[in-house]
Amino acid sequence: MISTLGLSKRYGDTIALDGVDLSVSPGSIYGLAGPNGAGKTTLLAILAGLRRHTSGDVRIDARPVEVAVLPDTPRFDPWLTGREVVILSQSLVDSEGPPGRIDEVLRETGLADAEGRRIGGYSRGMLQRLGIAATLVGSPSLILLDEPASALDPQGRREVLDLIARLRGTATILFSSHILADVQEVCDTVGILHEGRLLFQGPLRNLLVGSAVPRYVVRLRGDADAVAKRLRKVSWISSAEAGSDGVLTLEVASLANAEERLAKALAEAKAVVVSYAPEEVSLERAFLELTGGRKTL
Amino acid sequence: MSLWTLEFLRLRRTSRWLILGGVFVVFGLMGPLAARYMEQLLDLAGGETAGITIEFPDPVPADGIIQYINNAVQVGTLVAVIVAAGALAFDSIPEMGVFLRTRVPSVWRILVPRLVVPSVAITVAFVLGVVAAWYETAVLLGPLDVGAMFAGTTLGVLFFAFVVAVVAAVAQWVRSMLATVMVSLIVLVTLPILGIADVIDRWLPTRLGAALADLVGEGSVGDYLGPAIVTLLAMPLLLGLAAKGARRREA
Repeated sequence: MISTLGLSKRYGDTIALDGVDLSVSPGSIYGLAGPNGAGKTTLLAILAGLRRHTSGDVRIDARPVEVAVLPDTPRFDPWLTGREVVILSQSLVDSEGPPGRIDEVLRETGLADAEGRRIGGYSRGMLQRLGIAATLVGSPSLILLDEPASALDPQGRREVLDLIARLRGTATILFSSHILADVQEVCDTVGILHEGRLLFQGPLRNLLVGSAVPRYVVRLRGDADAVAKRLRKVSWISSAEAGSDGVLTLEVASLANAEERLAKALAEAKAVVVSYAPEEVSLERAFLELTGGRKTL
Repeated sequence: MSLWTLEFLRLRRTSRWLILGGVFVVFGLMGPLAARYMEQLLDLAGGETAGITIEFPDPVPADGIIQYINNAVQVGTLVAVIVAAGALAFDSIPEMGVFLRTRVPSVWRILVPRLVVPSVAITVAFVLGVVAAWYETAVLLGPLDVGAMFAGTTLGVLFFAFVVAVVAAVAQWVRSMLATVMVSLIVLVTLPILGIADVIDRWLPTRLGAALADLVGEGSVGDYLGPAIVTLLAMPLLLGLAAKGARRREA
Protein backbone atom coordinates (compact mmCIF):
# COMPACT_ATOMS: atom_id res chain seq x y z
CA MET A 1 0.00 0.00 0.00
CA ILE A 2 2.86 2.37 0.88
CA SER A 3 6.47 1.96 -0.04
CA THR A 4 9.29 4.42 0.20
CA LEU A 5 12.80 3.89 -1.01
CA GLY A 6 15.70 5.84 0.43
CA LEU A 7 13.36 8.57 1.57
CA SER A 8 15.26 11.50 3.00
CA LYS A 9 14.29 14.90 4.26
CA ARG A 10 16.64 17.69 5.27
CA TYR A 11 15.90 21.02 6.90
CA GLY A 12 19.11 22.89 6.16
CA ASP A 13 21.84 20.92 7.90
CA THR A 14 19.39 18.93 9.99
CA ILE A 15 18.49 15.47 8.74
CA ALA A 16 14.87 14.73 9.62
CA LEU A 17 14.64 11.48 7.64
CA ASP A 18 17.61 9.46 6.51
CA GLY A 19 17.09 6.83 3.81
CA VAL A 20 13.78 5.46 5.08
CA ASP A 21 12.55 2.32 3.29
CA LEU A 22 9.01 2.02 4.56
CA SER A 23 6.77 -0.84 3.51
CA VAL A 24 3.16 -0.90 4.65
CA SER A 25 1.10 -3.89 3.50
CA PRO A 26 -2.54 -3.49 2.46
CA GLY A 27 -4.96 -4.05 5.32
CA SER A 28 -2.34 -3.81 8.05
CA ILE A 29 -2.25 -1.56 11.10
CA TYR A 30 1.29 -0.31 10.98
CA GLY A 31 2.65 1.37 14.07
CA LEU A 32 5.38 3.89 13.51
CA ALA A 33 7.04 4.17 16.88
CA GLY A 34 9.73 6.51 18.01
CA PRO A 35 10.49 9.29 20.45
CA ASN A 36 9.47 12.89 19.87
CA GLY A 37 11.68 14.33 17.15
CA ALA A 38 12.34 10.96 15.52
CA GLY A 39 10.79 12.15 12.23
CA LYS A 40 7.37 10.50 12.48
CA THR A 41 5.34 13.62 11.76
CA THR A 42 7.65 14.59 8.91
CA LEU A 43 7.27 11.13 7.37
CA LEU A 44 3.48 11.23 7.66
CA ALA A 45 3.37 14.76 6.24
CA ILE A 46 5.39 13.64 3.21
CA LEU A 47 3.09 10.66 2.69
CA ALA A 48 0.09 13.00 2.97
CA GLY A 49 1.57 15.32 0.35
CA LEU A 50 1.92 18.20 2.80
CA ARG A 51 5.72 18.36 2.65
CA ARG A 52 8.30 17.71 -0.03
CA HIS A 53 10.96 15.09 0.44
CA THR A 54 14.56 15.92 -0.33
CA SER A 55 15.40 12.62 -2.03
CA GLY A 56 14.14 9.07 -2.49
CA ASP A 57 10.91 7.65 -3.85
CA VAL A 58 7.41 7.45 -2.44
CA ARG A 59 4.77 5.13 -3.80
CA ILE A 60 1.20 5.00 -2.49
CA ASP A 61 -1.27 2.59 -4.06
CA ALA A 62 -4.32 4.77 -3.48
CA ARG A 63 -5.80 7.81 -5.16
CA PRO A 64 -5.38 11.06 -3.15
CA VAL A 65 -9.10 11.09 -2.24
CA GLU A 66 -8.73 7.60 -0.77
CA VAL A 67 -6.03 8.78 1.64
CA ALA A 68 -7.24 10.33 4.88
CA VAL A 69 -4.99 12.17 7.30
CA LEU A 70 -5.58 12.98 10.94
CA PRO A 71 -3.14 15.43 12.57
CA ASP A 72 -2.18 14.92 16.21
CA THR A 73 -4.48 17.65 17.48
CA PRO A 74 -7.31 18.05 14.97
CA ARG A 75 -8.96 21.48 15.01
CA PHE A 76 -12.01 22.80 13.25
CA ASP A 77 -13.89 26.08 13.12
CA PRO A 78 -15.40 26.26 16.62
CA TRP A 79 -18.73 27.65 15.38
CA LEU A 80 -19.49 24.49 13.39
CA THR A 81 -21.36 21.60 14.98
CA GLY A 82 -19.82 18.14 15.09
CA ARG A 83 -22.30 16.92 12.52
CA GLU A 84 -21.49 19.82 10.16
CA VAL A 85 -17.78 18.98 10.27
CA VAL A 86 -18.53 15.39 9.27
CA ILE A 87 -20.95 16.52 6.54
CA LEU A 88 -18.35 18.97 5.21
CA SER A 89 -15.68 16.29 5.21
CA GLN A 90 -17.93 13.89 3.31
CA SER A 91 -18.88 16.55 0.77
CA LEU A 92 -15.19 17.25 0.10
CA VAL A 93 -13.99 13.67 -0.38
CA ASP A 94 -17.05 11.61 -1.22
CA SER A 95 -19.87 13.93 -2.27
CA GLU A 96 -21.96 11.02 -3.48
CA GLY A 97 -21.49 9.06 -0.26
CA PRO A 98 -24.63 7.79 1.45
CA PRO A 99 -26.14 10.22 4.03
CA GLY A 100 -26.48 7.28 6.41
CA ARG A 101 -22.68 7.11 6.56
CA ILE A 102 -22.64 10.34 8.58
CA ASP A 103 -24.85 8.88 11.31
CA GLU A 104 -22.82 5.70 11.21
CA VAL A 105 -19.44 7.36 11.86
CA LEU A 106 -20.90 9.68 14.50
CA ARG A 107 -22.29 6.62 16.27
CA GLU A 108 -19.03 4.67 15.87
CA THR A 109 -17.05 7.52 17.40
CA GLY A 110 -19.51 8.02 20.23
CA LEU A 111 -20.48 11.52 19.14
CA ALA A 112 -24.12 10.91 18.23
CA ASP A 113 -25.36 12.65 21.37
CA ALA A 114 -23.08 15.68 20.86
CA GLU A 115 -23.45 15.99 17.08
CA GLY A 116 -25.64 19.13 17.26
CA ARG A 117 -23.35 20.98 19.68
CA ARG A 118 -20.89 23.58 18.48
CA ILE A 119 -17.42 22.11 18.70
CA GLY A 120 -16.01 25.11 20.56
CA GLY A 121 -17.35 23.30 23.62
CA TYR A 122 -15.90 19.88 22.78
CA SER A 123 -13.24 18.31 24.99
CA ARG A 124 -9.86 17.28 23.58
CA GLY A 125 -10.97 13.66 23.42
CA MET A 126 -14.19 14.59 21.62
CA LEU A 127 -12.22 16.64 19.09
CA GLN A 128 -9.96 13.68 18.48
CA ARG A 129 -12.95 11.41 17.96
CA LEU A 130 -14.52 14.03 15.69
CA GLY A 131 -11.30 14.08 13.70
CA ILE A 132 -11.54 10.33 13.34
CA ALA A 133 -15.22 10.59 12.32
CA ALA A 134 -14.31 13.19 9.68
CA THR A 135 -11.52 10.88 8.53
CA LEU A 136 -13.68 7.76 8.29
CA VAL A 137 -16.73 9.32 6.64
CA GLY A 138 -15.14 9.18 3.21
CA SER A 139 -14.42 5.44 3.61
CA PRO A 140 -10.71 5.90 2.85
CA SER A 141 -8.56 2.95 1.91
CA LEU A 142 -5.49 4.42 3.64
CA ILE A 143 -5.59 6.30 6.95
CA LEU A 144 -2.59 8.20 8.29
CA LEU A 145 -2.93 8.92 12.02
CA ASP A 146 -0.34 11.13 13.69
CA GLU A 147 -0.14 10.47 17.43
CA PRO A 148 -3.92 10.04 17.66
CA ALA A 149 -4.01 9.20 21.36
CA SER A 150 -0.88 10.75 22.77
CA ALA A 151 -2.37 13.91 24.23
CA LEU A 152 -5.49 12.35 25.70
CA ASP A 153 -6.39 11.41 29.23
CA PRO A 154 -6.57 7.65 29.98
CA GLN A 155 -10.26 7.38 29.13
CA GLY A 156 -9.93 9.34 25.90
CA ARG A 157 -6.88 7.28 24.97
CA ARG A 158 -8.75 4.05 25.59
CA GLU A 159 -11.66 5.21 23.41
CA VAL A 160 -9.39 6.20 20.54
CA LEU A 161 -7.34 2.98 20.70
CA ASP A 162 -10.52 0.89 20.72
CA LEU A 163 -11.74 2.83 17.70
CA ILE A 164 -8.52 2.20 15.81
CA ALA A 165 -8.61 -1.49 16.72
CA ARG A 166 -12.16 -1.72 15.35
CA LEU A 167 -10.95 -0.35 12.01
CA ARG A 168 -8.84 -3.45 11.45
CA GLY A 169 -9.74 -4.96 8.09
CA THR A 170 -11.60 -1.90 6.80
CA ALA A 171 -8.56 0.12 5.73
CA THR A 172 -4.79 0.22 5.86
CA ILE A 173 -3.72 2.29 8.84
CA LEU A 174 -0.38 3.94 9.47
CA PHE A 175 -0.37 5.08 13.04
CA SER A 176 2.47 7.00 14.66
CA SER A 177 3.04 7.23 18.37
CA HIS A 178 5.75 7.81 20.92
CA ILE A 179 3.71 5.75 23.38
CA LEU A 180 4.95 2.25 22.69
CA ALA A 181 2.20 0.58 24.68
CA ASP A 182 -0.35 2.05 22.26
CA VAL A 183 1.54 0.69 19.26
CA GLN A 184 1.95 -2.69 20.92
CA GLU A 185 -1.77 -2.82 21.69
CA VAL A 186 -3.28 -2.09 18.28
CA CYS A 187 -0.64 -2.66 15.60
CA ASP A 188 0.31 -5.86 13.85
CA THR A 189 3.33 -4.40 12.09
CA VAL A 190 5.78 -1.99 13.58
CA GLY A 191 8.46 0.36 12.37
CA ILE A 192 10.96 1.84 14.81
CA LEU A 193 12.05 5.30 13.75
CA HIS A 194 14.91 6.89 15.60
CA GLU A 195 16.77 10.07 14.66
CA GLY A 196 15.32 9.88 11.16
CA ARG A 197 16.34 6.27 10.53
CA LEU A 198 14.09 3.23 10.38
CA LEU A 199 15.87 0.83 12.74
CA PHE A 200 13.38 -2.02 12.48
CA GLN A 201 10.37 -2.88 10.38
CA GLY A 202 8.28 -6.00 10.45
CA PRO A 203 5.69 -7.97 12.38
CA LEU A 204 5.50 -6.96 16.02
CA ARG A 205 6.22 -10.51 17.24
CA ASN A 206 9.49 -10.59 15.26
CA LEU A 207 10.63 -7.46 17.02
CA LEU A 208 9.67 -8.74 20.45
CA VAL A 209 11.23 -12.14 19.94
CA GLY A 210 14.08 -11.28 17.66
CA SER A 211 15.55 -8.09 19.00
CA ALA A 212 15.32 -8.38 22.73
CA VAL A 213 17.91 -10.10 24.88
CA PRO A 214 16.24 -13.16 26.51
CA ARG A 215 15.60 -12.73 30.21
CA TYR A 216 14.16 -14.66 33.07
CA VAL A 217 12.45 -13.14 36.08
CA VAL A 218 12.90 -15.10 39.29
CA ARG A 219 10.97 -14.28 42.46
CA LEU A 220 12.86 -15.34 45.58
CA ARG A 221 12.33 -15.54 49.28
CA GLY A 222 15.42 -14.44 51.23
CA ASP A 223 18.64 -12.77 50.15
CA ALA A 224 18.43 -12.08 46.42
CA ASP A 225 21.79 -10.29 46.33
CA ALA A 226 23.67 -13.38 47.49
CA VAL A 227 21.90 -15.54 44.90
CA ALA A 228 22.65 -13.00 42.17
CA LYS A 229 26.31 -13.00 43.12
CA ARG A 230 26.48 -16.79 42.79
CA LEU A 231 24.57 -16.85 39.48
CA ARG A 232 26.91 -14.33 37.86
CA LYS A 233 29.55 -17.05 37.88
CA VAL A 234 27.41 -19.29 35.64
CA SER A 235 28.73 -19.18 32.09
CA TRP A 236 25.40 -18.94 30.19
CA ILE A 237 24.03 -16.19 32.50
CA SER A 238 25.38 -12.90 31.23
CA SER A 239 23.93 -10.76 34.01
CA ALA A 240 21.99 -11.16 37.25
CA GLU A 241 20.39 -8.10 38.87
CA ALA A 242 18.65 -8.30 42.23
CA GLY A 243 15.75 -5.94 42.88
CA SER A 244 14.77 -4.64 46.30
CA ASP A 245 11.60 -6.74 46.34
CA GLY A 246 13.36 -10.11 45.99
CA VAL A 247 13.01 -10.17 42.23
CA LEU A 248 16.01 -11.35 40.28
CA THR A 249 16.35 -10.50 36.60
CA LEU A 250 18.66 -12.78 34.64
CA GLU A 251 19.93 -12.18 31.13
CA VAL A 252 20.57 -15.58 29.61
CA ALA A 253 22.31 -16.81 26.48
CA SER A 254 19.07 -18.29 25.19
CA LEU A 255 15.65 -19.13 26.53
CA ALA A 256 16.18 -22.80 25.59
CA ASN A 257 19.37 -22.84 27.63
CA ALA A 258 17.57 -21.40 30.63
CA GLU A 259 14.62 -23.80 30.33
CA GLU A 260 17.06 -26.72 30.49
CA ARG A 261 19.48 -25.53 33.14
CA LEU A 262 18.03 -22.71 35.24
CA ALA A 263 16.33 -24.90 37.86
CA LYS A 264 19.62 -26.65 38.58
CA ALA A 265 21.57 -23.37 38.68
CA LEU A 266 19.08 -21.87 41.15
CA ALA A 267 19.30 -24.93 43.37
CA GLU A 268 23.09 -24.80 43.34
CA ALA A 269 22.93 -21.10 44.23
CA LYS A 270 20.80 -22.07 47.29
CA ALA A 271 17.90 -19.92 46.11
CA VAL A 272 14.48 -20.28 47.75
CA VAL A 273 12.35 -19.89 44.64
CA VAL A 274 8.76 -18.63 44.74
CA SER A 275 8.33 -18.53 40.97
CA TYR A 276 10.27 -18.04 37.76
CA ALA A 277 9.33 -17.39 34.14
CA PRO A 278 10.71 -15.80 30.98
CA GLU A 279 10.27 -12.04 31.05
CA GLU A 280 7.45 -10.86 28.83
CA VAL A 281 9.21 -8.68 26.29
CA SER A 282 7.67 -5.25 25.86
CA LEU A 283 7.98 -3.07 22.83
CA GLU A 284 9.54 -0.48 25.08
CA ARG A 285 12.36 -2.82 26.03
CA ALA A 286 12.87 -3.92 22.45
CA PHE A 287 12.96 -0.28 21.42
CA LEU A 288 15.51 0.66 24.04
CA GLU A 289 17.69 -2.26 23.08
CA LEU A 290 17.45 -1.35 19.40
CA THR A 291 18.39 2.25 20.07
CA GLY A 292 20.94 1.34 22.72
CA GLY A 293 18.77 3.16 25.28
CA ARG A 294 19.98 6.38 23.77
CA LYS A 295 16.78 8.31 24.10
CA THR A 296 14.25 8.33 26.88
CA LEU A 297 10.70 7.96 25.68
CA MET B 1 -22.30 21.31 3.15
CA SER B 2 -20.05 22.93 0.57
CA LEU B 3 -17.10 25.28 0.99
CA TRP B 4 -19.50 28.08 -0.06
CA THR B 5 -21.90 27.26 2.77
CA LEU B 6 -18.93 27.17 5.13
CA GLU B 7 -18.07 30.75 4.22
CA PHE B 8 -21.66 31.96 4.62
CA LEU B 9 -21.76 30.30 8.03
CA ARG B 10 -18.43 31.91 8.95
CA LEU B 11 -19.93 35.35 8.23
CA ARG B 12 -23.18 34.61 10.02
CA ARG B 13 -22.07 32.68 13.07
CA THR B 14 -19.07 34.84 13.89
CA SER B 15 -21.24 37.99 13.52
CA ARG B 16 -18.82 39.36 10.95
CA TRP B 17 -21.73 40.36 8.70
CA LEU B 18 -23.12 42.41 11.59
CA ILE B 19 -19.80 44.17 12.22
CA LEU B 20 -19.31 44.87 8.50
CA GLY B 21 -22.86 46.12 7.96
CA GLY B 22 -22.80 48.03 11.23
CA VAL B 23 -19.61 49.94 10.45
CA PHE B 24 -20.67 51.05 6.97
CA VAL B 25 -24.34 51.75 7.74
CA VAL B 26 -23.53 53.66 10.94
CA PHE B 27 -21.03 55.82 9.07
CA GLY B 28 -23.58 56.17 6.28
CA LEU B 29 -26.13 57.51 8.72
CA MET B 30 -23.69 59.59 10.76
CA GLY B 31 -21.81 61.23 7.86
CA PRO B 32 -24.61 63.49 6.52
CA LEU B 33 -25.80 64.22 10.07
CA ALA B 34 -22.33 65.36 11.02
CA ALA B 35 -22.03 67.46 7.85
CA ARG B 36 -25.45 69.08 8.41
CA TYR B 37 -25.01 69.83 12.11
CA MET B 38 -21.23 70.23 12.38
CA GLU B 39 -21.47 73.85 13.48
CA GLN B 40 -24.06 73.10 16.15
CA LEU B 41 -22.07 70.06 17.32
CA LEU B 42 -18.94 72.17 17.74
CA ASP B 43 -20.94 74.88 19.53
CA LEU B 44 -22.20 72.25 21.94
CA ALA B 45 -18.61 71.11 22.44
CA GLY B 46 -17.52 74.68 23.22
CA GLY B 47 -16.52 75.94 19.79
CA GLU B 48 -15.87 79.55 20.92
CA THR B 49 -13.04 78.82 23.33
CA ALA B 50 -10.34 81.42 23.87
CA GLY B 51 -12.33 84.00 21.95
CA ILE B 52 -11.90 82.21 18.62
CA THR B 53 -15.00 81.90 16.49
CA ILE B 54 -15.04 79.19 13.82
CA GLU B 55 -17.42 79.92 10.98
CA PHE B 56 -18.46 77.09 8.69
CA PRO B 57 -19.72 77.57 5.17
CA ASP B 58 -23.26 76.32 4.65
CA PRO B 59 -23.11 72.56 4.06
CA VAL B 60 -23.74 71.31 0.53
CA PRO B 61 -25.01 67.81 -0.45
CA ALA B 62 -21.52 66.60 -1.34
CA ASP B 63 -20.43 67.15 2.29
CA GLY B 64 -22.69 64.33 3.47
CA ILE B 65 -20.99 61.82 1.18
CA ILE B 66 -17.51 63.22 1.88
CA GLN B 67 -18.08 62.68 5.60
CA TYR B 68 -19.23 59.12 4.95
CA ILE B 69 -16.30 58.27 2.72
CA ASN B 70 -13.72 59.84 5.06
CA ASN B 71 -14.82 57.57 7.88
CA ALA B 72 -15.98 54.50 5.99
CA VAL B 73 -12.88 54.09 3.86
CA GLN B 74 -10.49 54.19 6.82
CA VAL B 75 -12.37 52.11 9.38
CA GLY B 76 -14.13 50.08 6.67
CA THR B 77 -10.80 49.09 5.11
CA LEU B 78 -9.54 47.90 8.48
CA VAL B 79 -12.69 45.84 9.06
CA ALA B 80 -12.62 44.51 5.48
CA VAL B 81 -8.99 43.40 5.90
CA ILE B 82 -9.81 41.59 9.16
CA VAL B 83 -12.89 39.88 7.69
CA ALA B 84 -11.03 38.82 4.54
CA ALA B 85 -8.01 37.61 6.51
CA GLY B 86 -10.29 35.52 8.73
CA ALA B 87 -11.43 33.61 5.67
CA LEU B 88 -8.25 33.60 3.58
CA ALA B 89 -5.57 32.83 6.17
CA PHE B 90 -6.76 29.21 6.35
CA ASP B 91 -3.29 27.92 7.18
CA SER B 92 -2.99 30.16 10.23
CA ILE B 93 -4.08 27.17 12.30
CA PRO B 94 -2.12 24.38 10.59
CA GLU B 95 -4.48 21.58 11.64
CA MET B 96 -7.37 23.41 9.96
CA GLY B 97 -5.24 23.87 6.86
CA VAL B 98 -4.45 20.13 6.86
CA PHE B 99 -8.18 19.34 6.98
CA LEU B 100 -8.73 21.29 3.76
CA ARG B 101 -5.50 20.55 1.95
CA THR B 102 -5.73 16.80 2.37
CA ARG B 103 -9.32 16.76 1.12
CA VAL B 104 -9.33 19.37 -1.64
CA PRO B 105 -6.60 18.92 -4.25
CA SER B 106 -7.32 22.18 -6.10
CA VAL B 107 -6.28 25.37 -4.30
CA TRP B 108 -8.73 27.36 -6.41
CA ARG B 109 -11.58 25.28 -5.03
CA ILE B 110 -10.49 26.37 -1.54
CA LEU B 111 -9.70 29.96 -2.46
CA VAL B 112 -12.66 31.00 -4.62
CA PRO B 113 -15.41 30.81 -1.94
CA ARG B 114 -13.05 32.48 0.52
CA LEU B 115 -12.49 35.31 -1.96
CA VAL B 116 -16.02 35.72 -3.26
CA VAL B 117 -18.09 35.50 -0.07
CA PRO B 118 -16.17 38.13 1.93
CA SER B 119 -15.95 40.34 -1.18
CA VAL B 120 -19.72 40.18 -1.67
CA ALA B 121 -20.32 40.87 2.02
CA ILE B 122 -17.96 43.87 1.99
CA THR B 123 -19.56 45.17 -1.21
CA VAL B 124 -23.06 44.84 0.21
CA ALA B 125 -22.01 46.59 3.42
CA PHE B 126 -20.30 49.43 1.52
CA VAL B 127 -23.29 49.89 -0.80
CA LEU B 128 -25.72 49.83 2.14
CA GLY B 129 -23.61 52.57 3.72
CA VAL B 130 -23.74 54.56 0.48
CA VAL B 131 -27.52 54.14 0.29
CA ALA B 132 -27.90 55.26 3.91
CA ALA B 133 -25.64 58.26 3.34
CA TRP B 134 -27.37 59.14 0.06
CA TYR B 135 -30.84 58.97 1.61
CA GLU B 136 -29.92 61.05 4.61
CA THR B 137 -28.00 63.55 2.49
CA ALA B 138 -31.06 63.96 0.27
CA VAL B 139 -33.25 64.57 3.33
CA LEU B 140 -30.90 66.88 5.21
CA LEU B 141 -28.78 68.61 2.58
CA GLY B 142 -30.35 68.16 -0.85
CA PRO B 143 -30.14 65.93 -3.92
CA LEU B 144 -26.94 64.38 -5.27
CA ASP B 145 -25.87 63.74 -8.83
CA VAL B 146 -27.11 60.23 -9.63
CA GLY B 147 -24.44 59.49 -12.26
CA ALA B 148 -21.65 60.57 -9.92
CA MET B 149 -23.10 58.42 -7.14
CA PHE B 150 -23.26 55.30 -9.31
CA ALA B 151 -19.81 55.84 -10.79
CA GLY B 152 -18.26 56.61 -7.38
CA THR B 153 -19.95 53.59 -5.76
CA THR B 154 -18.68 51.30 -8.54
CA LEU B 155 -15.14 52.59 -8.05
CA GLY B 156 -15.50 52.11 -4.27
CA VAL B 157 -16.59 48.52 -4.82
CA LEU B 158 -13.55 48.02 -7.06
CA PHE B 159 -11.33 49.43 -4.31
CA PHE B 160 -12.65 46.93 -1.74
CA ALA B 161 -12.24 44.07 -4.25
CA PHE B 162 -8.61 45.19 -4.56
CA VAL B 163 -8.30 45.15 -0.75
CA VAL B 164 -9.54 41.54 -0.64
CA ALA B 165 -7.12 40.56 -3.43
CA VAL B 166 -4.21 42.10 -1.49
CA VAL B 167 -5.24 40.16 1.62
CA ALA B 168 -5.52 36.94 -0.42
CA ALA B 169 -1.99 37.32 -1.78
CA VAL B 170 -0.53 38.20 1.61
CA ALA B 171 -2.41 35.42 3.46
CA GLN B 172 -0.95 32.66 1.31
CA TRP B 173 2.61 33.77 1.88
CA VAL B 174 2.69 34.88 5.51
CA ARG B 175 0.05 32.34 6.68
CA SER B 176 -0.65 33.72 10.20
CA MET B 177 -3.84 35.72 10.68
CA LEU B 178 -2.20 38.58 12.58
CA ALA B 179 0.67 38.85 10.12
CA THR B 180 -1.81 38.81 7.22
CA VAL B 181 -3.73 41.74 8.71
CA MET B 182 -0.59 43.71 9.54
CA VAL B 183 1.18 43.18 6.21
CA SER B 184 -2.00 43.90 4.23
CA LEU B 185 -2.54 47.15 6.12
CA ILE B 186 1.11 48.13 5.60
CA VAL B 187 0.70 47.54 1.85
CA LEU B 188 -2.53 49.55 1.73
CA VAL B 189 -1.06 52.39 3.80
CA THR B 190 2.22 52.45 1.89
CA LEU B 191 0.60 52.80 -1.52
CA PRO B 192 -0.88 56.28 -0.84
CA ILE B 193 2.53 57.37 0.51
CA LEU B 194 4.00 56.50 -2.90
CA GLY B 195 1.35 58.84 -4.28
CA ILE B 196 3.33 61.83 -3.01
CA ALA B 197 4.80 61.72 -6.48
CA ASP B 198 1.96 62.99 -8.64
CA VAL B 199 2.92 60.78 -11.58
CA ILE B 200 2.41 57.69 -9.41
CA ASP B 201 -0.67 59.00 -7.60
CA ARG B 202 -2.63 59.16 -10.84
CA TRP B 203 -2.41 55.36 -11.16
CA LEU B 204 -2.80 54.16 -7.59
CA PRO B 205 -5.67 51.71 -6.84
CA THR B 206 -5.99 53.18 -3.33
CA ARG B 207 -7.32 56.42 -4.90
CA LEU B 208 -10.50 54.56 -5.78
CA GLY B 209 -11.60 54.40 -2.15
CA ALA B 210 -12.27 58.12 -2.00
CA ALA B 211 -13.49 58.44 -5.59
CA LEU B 212 -17.13 58.76 -4.57
CA ALA B 213 -16.40 61.78 -2.37
CA ASP B 214 -14.52 63.44 -5.23
CA LEU B 215 -17.08 62.66 -7.92
CA VAL B 216 -20.02 64.17 -6.03
CA GLY B 217 -17.92 67.34 -5.76
CA GLU B 218 -15.68 68.66 -8.48
CA GLY B 219 -14.03 65.45 -9.72
CA SER B 220 -14.61 63.66 -13.00
CA VAL B 221 -14.74 59.95 -13.79
CA GLY B 222 -11.83 60.39 -16.21
CA ASP B 223 -9.51 61.09 -13.26
CA TYR B 224 -10.10 57.53 -12.04
CA LEU B 225 -9.68 55.62 -15.28
CA GLY B 226 -5.96 55.10 -14.62
CA PRO B 227 -6.38 53.70 -11.07
CA ALA B 228 -9.30 51.54 -12.24
CA ILE B 229 -7.23 50.03 -15.07
CA VAL B 230 -4.27 49.40 -12.75
CA THR B 231 -6.61 47.79 -10.22
CA LEU B 232 -8.20 45.55 -12.84
CA LEU B 233 -4.74 44.49 -14.00
CA ALA B 234 -3.35 44.07 -10.49
CA MET B 235 -6.16 41.89 -9.20
CA PRO B 236 -5.49 38.84 -11.40
CA LEU B 237 -1.80 39.17 -10.57
CA LEU B 238 -2.56 39.27 -6.85
CA LEU B 239 -4.88 36.26 -7.16
CA GLY B 240 -2.24 34.40 -9.16
CA LEU B 241 0.25 35.19 -6.40
CA ALA B 242 -2.26 33.88 -3.86
CA ALA B 243 -2.73 30.64 -5.79
CA LYS B 244 1.04 30.21 -6.13
CA GLY B 245 1.45 30.72 -2.40
CA ALA B 246 -1.38 28.32 -1.60
CA ARG B 247 0.14 25.61 -3.81
CA ARG B 248 3.49 25.96 -2.12
CA ARG B 249 4.20 22.96 0.08
CA GLU B 250 6.52 23.25 2.99
CA ALA B 251 9.97 22.65 1.61
